[in-house]
Order: sequence, then C-alpha cells, then structure tokens
Amino acid sequence: MNSQRPLMFLLLVLYVFSPTLFNWMINPDGAWYRPYIIWMLVIVIAYVIQNRRQRHDI
Amino acid sequence: MTFELSQVAFLSIAYLLLLFGIAYSTERGWIPDAVVQHPITYILSLGIFASAWSFYGVIDLAFQHGYGALAYYLGTGALFLFAPVVLAPLAELARRYQILTLADLLVFRYHSQAIGGLATLCMLLAVLPLLALQIQAVADTLRLLTEGETPAPLQDTFTFREAMALLYCVILALFTILFGSNQEHHRGLITAMAFESLVKVCALCIIGLLAVYGVFGGLDQLDVWLSQNPENLELLYDPIRSTSSHTLLLVFIATAVAMPHIFHMAVVENTAKHATVTITWAFPLFLLLMALPIFPILWAGFELNAPMATEYFPLGVPMLFGSPTLSIIAFIGGLSAATGALVAITLSLTTMLLNHWLLPIFHFGGKYNIYQQLLWLRRSLIAAIFIGGYLFYLSLNNEYSLTNLALMAFIETLQFLPGILAVIYWPRGNRLGVIVGLSAGSLIWGVGLLLPLITGMNALYIPGVATPIPLGFEYWNGITLLSLSVNVALFVLLSLATEASDEERYSAEICAGDELSHPMRLALDVYSPAEFQQRLSQSLGHANAREEVDRALRQLNLSVNERRPYALRRLRDQLEINLSRLMGIGVASEILDDYIPYKVPQTRATSDINLIESRLAQYRNHLTGMAAELNNLRLYHRNTLQELPLAVCSLGKDLEILMWNRAMEELTGIPTDEVMGSHLDNIAQPWGTLIGSFSRSRSTHRYKQQVQLNAHIHWISLHKSSIQGPAAQSTEDQVILLEDVTETQLLEQELVHSERLASVGRLAAGVAHEIGNPITGIDCLAQNLRYESDCAEVRETADQILSQTSRISRIVQSLVSFSHIGKQSPEDFQPVNLQACVDEAMHLLRLQRDKTQVQFRNTLSGAITVRGDSQRLIQVFVNLLSNARDASPEGGEVVVSASQQDEIIVISVTDEGSGIAPEHMERILEPFFTTKEPGEGTGLGLSMVYSIIEDHGGHIDIESPANPEKRSGARFNIKLPRQPLTQMT
Repeated sequence: MNSQRPLMFLLLVLYVFSPTLFNWMINPDGAWYRPYIIWMLVIVIAYVIQNRRQRHDI
Repeated sequence: MTFELSQVAFLSIAYLLLLFGIAYSTERGWIPDAVVQHPITYILSLGIFASAWSFYGVIDLAFQHGYGALAYYLGTGALFLFAPVVLAPLAELARRYQILTLADLLVFRYHSQAIGGLATLCMLLAVLPLLALQIQAVADTLRLLTEGETPAPLQDTFTFREAMALLYCVILALFTILFGSNQEHHRGLITAMAFESLVKVCALCIIGLLAVYGVFGGLDQLDVWLSQNPENLELLYDPIRSTSSHTLLLVFIATAVAMPHIFHMAVVENTAKHATVTITWAFPLFLLLMALPIFPILWAGFELNAPMATEYFPLGVPMLFGSPTLSIIAFIGGLSAATGALVAITLSLTTMLLNHWLLPIFHFGGKYNIYQQLLWLRRSLIAAIFIGGYLFYLSLNNEYSLTNLALMAFIETLQFLPGILAVIYWPRGNRLGVIVGLSAGSLIWGVGLLLPLITGMNALYIPGVATPIPLGFEYWNGITLLSLSVNVALFVLLSLATEASDEERYSAEICAGDELSHPMRLALDVYSPAEFQQRLSQSLGHANAREEVDRALRQLNLSVNERRPYALRRLRDQLEINLSRLMGIGVASEILDDYIPYKVPQTRATSDINLIESRLAQYRNHLTGMAAELNNLRLYHRNTLQELPLAVCSLGKDLEILMWNRAMEELTGIPTDEVMGSHLDNIAQPWGTLIGSFSRSRSTHRYKQQVQLNAHIHWISLHKSSIQGPAAQSTEDQVILLEDVTETQLLEQELVHSERLASVGRLAAGVAHEIGNPITGIDCLAQNLRYESDCAEVRETADQILSQTSRISRIVQSLVSFSHIGKQSPEDFQPVNLQACVDEAMHLLRLQRDKTQVQFRNTLSGAITVRGDSQRLIQVFVNLLSNARDASPEGGEVVVSASQQDEIIVISVTDEGSGIAPEHMERILEPFFTTKEPGEGTGLGLSMVYSIIEDHGGHIDIESPANPEKRSGARFNIKLPRQPLTQMT
C-alpha cells in the first residue's frame, strides 16, 4: 500500500480539481483542443516522474 | 476520384508483403537487436490496440458523442499511465506462472477449468463482431477507393469486394500461421506490429494536417470556421453531459485490459523491464497522436460535404481534397490498423481455444511429437478463426456501422472486468461468483445486443408480461449498465455467501501479491529427474517427457543427478510453467497434479525458507517502509549467522538443510550452494552420517567425535537445539553447531604426556629416597665385611657388593637430581652467562678420556645471559653434550650455537652422529628411555634436561636429521626466555 501513496494522492487531487478542470475544458469560448493540453500535461508529469524514479533506482 | 482495383489490390498486397518481410527479417536476425528490443518498438506494437475502428469508427463516435469519443483513448491511456500499479502485478504474475491469456489468468486465480471454457466462449462471441469490423473496414474502404465517394448500393450477391475481403483474410491467415503459431515470443510479429502502428499513426496525423492546413488553411482559419459554424462546437460539448459518455469511459477502461489481444501485448509480451516504466508516458503519447486529428478530420468532412458515412471521413477527406497520394496513405493506414488487430486477436483467441477447449477435452501427446501436434492444431485454429470472422462478416451484410460492432464487442469484454479486478484487489471473490456473474452479464448482452444483431429481432416477448422488452443497439447504454450491475451484484453476493476451496484461496493470495509469507514446503515422492521423466511419459509420451525434463533442468542449471528435495521442487514448478506455456495453465497443472503430486504435509506450517529467501532477495528493491526495514533486519540476522565463526547449520523437520554458514563451508569443504535444500542423507561423507545420526538422536550434545579428514584425524563436538517456527502448531526445526576441537584435543594429549613425565619423576624421587637408605646400610655392611674378613673370597665378594652398591648409588643420585631435590626457586635465580656454562660442561667432558674423542666448539658470545641456576644449566649442557659425543663418530664435531628471536634465546647443540630414529622421537624425553647398551645409561639424562629447562620457563625441541642433505646428525634447540623472572613472577 505504501508504494501506492502517490497514486492515492494524485487521485485525490484529481477529484478535488476535476469540476474546475472540466468546466475549463468544456467552456465554449475556449479552444477546441483544451482537453489535449491537459492530456499533454499529464504525459509530461508522467515523464518527469518516470525519469526521477529511474534515477532513484540507479 | 477512383482507383483501378488492380492498383489498390497491388498496393495492399505489396504492403502486406512488406509486413511479411519485416517479420521474416526480424526472425532471421537481420534487423539489429537495438531496434527489435527497443522499448519504443514494444510500445508501438501495443498500438494494435488502435484497430480499424480507431482509424475510422472513432470519427463516427466523435460525431455522436463529441468529447465523449476521447474516452476511448483516455480510458486506455489512464490504464497505461498507472501501469506500474495496474499492469505490472499482472505482468509479473503472467511471467512467473506463464499466463498467456485472460482465460489462463482466470483459471489460475479461480482454480477452475470451467471458468477457462466459459471465458473462452464469451471472448469468442465478443471478438466475432470485432473481427467482422476489421474485414468490413477494409472491404468498405476498398470499395470507396475503386467506386468513388458515392458507391452504388450494395447488392445481395457475392461481389468482387467480398472476394477481395476473402483474399485479404487468406493472406493474413498465412501471415499469422507463419509468424505467430510457434509458442515462443513472437519477435518478428511484434516488430511487424510496431511498424504497422507507426504507419497508421503517421497516416492519421498526415490526414489531420491535411484537414487543418489543406482544407481549412491553418489553425486560425479553423477557429474562424468554428465560430461561423457554432453547431459543430456544440456537438463537442452536449453529448458528454449525458450518461452514455460515462458508460463509454467504463467500457473503454475494460477494453484496455480485457480485450484478448491487448491483454496479450500488455501483459504477456511485456518482457522488457524498462518498457514498463517508459510505457507510462510513451503509450498515452501515442494515443494522443492518434486522437489529435479526430475532430479536424470530422470538421473537414463536414466542410467538404463528404457524402459517405462519417466513419470513412479519414479516407473521404483526402479523396475529396483531390490528393491520390494522401488517399492511398489513408487507405494503407486503415489497412494497417485492421491487419494488426486481426492478427493479434486471432493469435490470442487461438491460444484460448486450444488451452481451454481442445486440450482439456482431447488427449494429446503419447507416442507422437506433442510439439508438432500442437503446432498443427494452432495453425488449424488460426485458419478456423479467420474463416469464422469472414463468415460472420458476410452474415452481417454490411448493415451495421463500425461503431455498433465495436461497442458490441467492448460491452461483452466489460463483463470480465469484475473478475479481473478481483484477481488483484479482492481475494474474497470466488469461482462461483465469477461463473454466475459472467454468465448472467453475458446472457443479458447476448439477448440484448448480439441476438438482435444476428436475427434482426427488436423486442423480447415474455409470456405473461404485457409489454415487450425492447432490444437492439439503440438501448446499448441501458443494456450495458444492466448487464454489468447484474454481473457485479451476483459476483459479490455469491462470493460473500459461499466459501472458496483451499487451492483457490492459495491462488487468490498469490495473485493479491501477498504470497511472500506463504510458500509451503510440500514434499514430493519423486527423488530424481529420471523419475520425473518416467512419470511424465505416461501422459506426454517418452520422447516429449524427456525433452521437457531436460529443458527444465537446463533452465534451472541443475544436473540430471540432482537429488535435493529443494531442487526437485523447483524442477516440478519449472515443468509446470513450461507445460503451461505449451498447453495452458489448466491442463499443465492437471498433468502435474496427476503424475507428480505434492504430498499433503502432515503439519501445516512447513514454510519453504529457501524459496522465501530467494524471492526476498529478488524483490529487495520493491520493498518499502516497514517491509524494507524488516528485510534489513532479516539480512542483518542472516549475516550474523552466516559470518558466525562457528560452524552452524539448520535443518527442517524432514532433515532438509535450510542453512549452512560460512564456517560450516570451511569446516566441511561443502559449498553452501550445493548443499542448500539437500536432504541430510545426501551430503558428502563423513558429514552426512555424523550430523544425521546426531540430529536423529535424543542427546543435545556429543563430544569429540572422531572423523578422518584429508588423512588426518579431527575431533568434532556437536551441539543442537530445536527452533520453534512462527506458527503455533509448527514443527520443530533444528539448529546444529559443530565445533572443531582438534587443537584442544592435541593440547590435552600433550598435557597428559607432560603429566605422565612429571608423575614418573615424582615416582623416581620417591624410589630414590626409599632405596638410598637400605643401600647405605648394604654399603656399610659390605665395607665392614671387607675389613673384618681375611678370606680372599669373601673380600672379593665384598668388593663386588661395593661396586654394585656404588652403581646403585649413581643411579639413585641421578634420580635424586632428576626429582629436583634441592632445586632453586625462581626467586633465587641469578644472571647466568651461558657461554661460561657451556665452557664448563665441555671442560668436564674433556676429562673423560675413555670416551669417544670429539671436537667441542662453543660459538656462544659472552654477552648472552639468562636468569637461572648455573649449576643446573651446566648439568643440562653436560647431559646434552655427552649424549652428542656418544652419538658422534670418532673425531666428529659437536657445535653449540645461539640465536635470538625477540625475547627468546635459542641455544642449539648439534652433532654429526647418526641422528634419532623417527620412532624414538616421541619417547626420547621420557624417563628411563634409552637407546644405549644396558649399564651405559640410565635413561634419565634427557628427562632431566627437559625438567630443568621447563623450570627455567623454557622449552626444548629436537630436529633430526640436523643435516637434511647427509640425513645425519641431531640438533637439540633449547629456548630460554631472556628475562624469565619477570615473566614468571
């Protein structure tokens, strides 16, 4: 369970911010590619976490 | 714009041949390993997830559900984003137990062949629409390319289009049979799949760019167009507010793990360790690239007033734009997507059908080559699945959109989700729950969606119920939620209400990742690999059994003569794993359970310590927090035992060796690796007998057991104690300690020897004292007799008596000297110049003219002094020098020399005589031991030397021969401390 703590934390953060994010995403005045921006951000975060984890492993 | 059929057919076949070429080159090793084994190759090969439906159908989904369509990618992307948590445990299970398909996983977890059969049936029903979808996509796009954007209505006859679809199926079936029907990892196939993913993602992105920059003239112009056509933006947002979008998300999450081909690629082929980490960001990125062009292509289709169905916009946009090259690229992209999915689905379904339908029913093996039989079975099944998919496609007659077919398949795979989640997260879930839940969910799906698809019925009339229940694809949302709810409810309720069997609970704990505390040391009634082979040959046939046993031995680096129970258990496990890979987990465990069963242990808790240790060592880096601390503590204690300077081993109740520390290794000369897990009786002699008989005996100590090691006798003391296991009812293991007491024993023997010398000395002193008085009496009487008698005869007799008593007196005098009468106490010792002592002794000896004449040479310096009794030291030298003289030949040389070692002075007396015979060396210092003629010596001289030197805190040793070249001479080395008094007081 310990190793899944960051995951739990991430889910909690997502839950807290999901209404805001969702509203921002589907705001008709915004660009149509807003969901993709969030998606890209998630990928960047995953990439950073993965790099740090690999450094830890070494 | 139209193309000639021959052109399109040529391009398609050329592309498929290119895939053949890539797969073939990889298998022949022509493509470098750096490319084949690169994580990117593996991640791209996962792209088979994006089938023809995600190339074409997802545009239709975007039209219907707006942003809801992204759920298709987000669900899967999320799953891979959390791959280390969600997929890694499954991949680890699959790797360790050779789980090849979802059905294998369920059989392993729920310990039931029936689940395997049921899962295969449900999966077969689920993927048929998906297979048909791929074929339909290829056939439809082929038709669009050859007949133009507005093709003629379809006729109910077997057209050229169907023939092309059939040809496509035949080529793909051949490809799959060639590169996918062997059981090893499909390197060639994976590289080809990676290539096709690359092609389709590039094709889709190119069309996306064409839509944005070609059709609209840039992103700014697209924004302008969207503001002019706000209904398109509304299309994005409106549908996601309805519940169907949430259902879609649920369906797509399930798809990612339950779809047989994705399960196969994500879990089974997931061999590269580093790929599991890279996958977390790289695969979502791949999905992002696949999803990015969706909306621009949809809008470009609207802008160009594309007349075809929305799902074919990716092909329609370049065609309407008037670009033949881009149209072909789009077609190849779609073809690529369909190809990858078809091949992967067929392969995983083949494995399922073979392992869960055919092998449990029919008996294979025997005298035939099982590998050939299985190979041909797989090939036939691959062909059968392609034929089935094609026939299903024909039967649907193009009446359903790609979206309908895909959702149909995905909703059925959703039914597996509860069972899969319980594998890792809910050990309480049991087989009855899964069977009933899955059956009920699938039944609702079958009646609600599949039946209307095949038969065209749209309502279910139930006798006694007035209103018919509406069926069909329009109600997919409701049917999905209903089927899943019923499935979950039944699964949970039945799991809670019924008890799982012991085997199932054991598997559940293994799957829940809690297995480290559980490996039991179960006993086998098989004692050699040859016996394994003989037992297995009853099921597999002789040749097959031999090959399997040999392969497992090779994998484990074991020899055919292996007899260790621990190694034999590993061999059994390896055989089960290898057979699982060959014929599925269900059949393999059945064969092993039938022919090489584990005996049920008499007591519950005989943990397999060796296995636990090796696993802990393997997973050391995975442990965190408390577990890591405990593991460090374990390592510390283990190292303490391992490095203990006493030989320690521990034994299980069944006399299996569980620990063998370094000192034990050194003492016995048996390496730990060889002996761990052995039965005690199988280890090298004399240790097997020595430890075995002790461990079986009731005594807890055995002292000084004599063993012969390397031609020397050693004395070993053994001690033992019992270890109570962690569980209350556990059996008692033993810890045995071996102590090499050889040195102590030798010292003791020397002590006994010294004691004997001392006691003989004391006896001699007593005897001397007792004999002295009567001798004096006899001597007086003999003298009286001599003076008082005139008879010559009597006087002669008296002289002889006097001569004999004088001899007795000399002996007695020697004895008295030997018994230390009148010796000085160490406190009275004075500094003694050794050179002077030696000179004095030599002077005395030179006076004896009747003895052998030799050269005495004193090389001592005048500076060498010790503290001692000078008279007794002169006695020492007199004795040693006279012995040397007696042993020397006429004219020989006797040398006294000295050397200094730290605080010790060594004085050596060396002669050139014949030396001392080896058999006399041991006894030469004993009192009354002499090699001289009777009457020549008393045998007390050297004993006296020994006693005097000991009294001076010194030591004497003897070398013979002193001159190894001539093998002659003897050397007496006297070692005296330079300051004996300070050490003695």
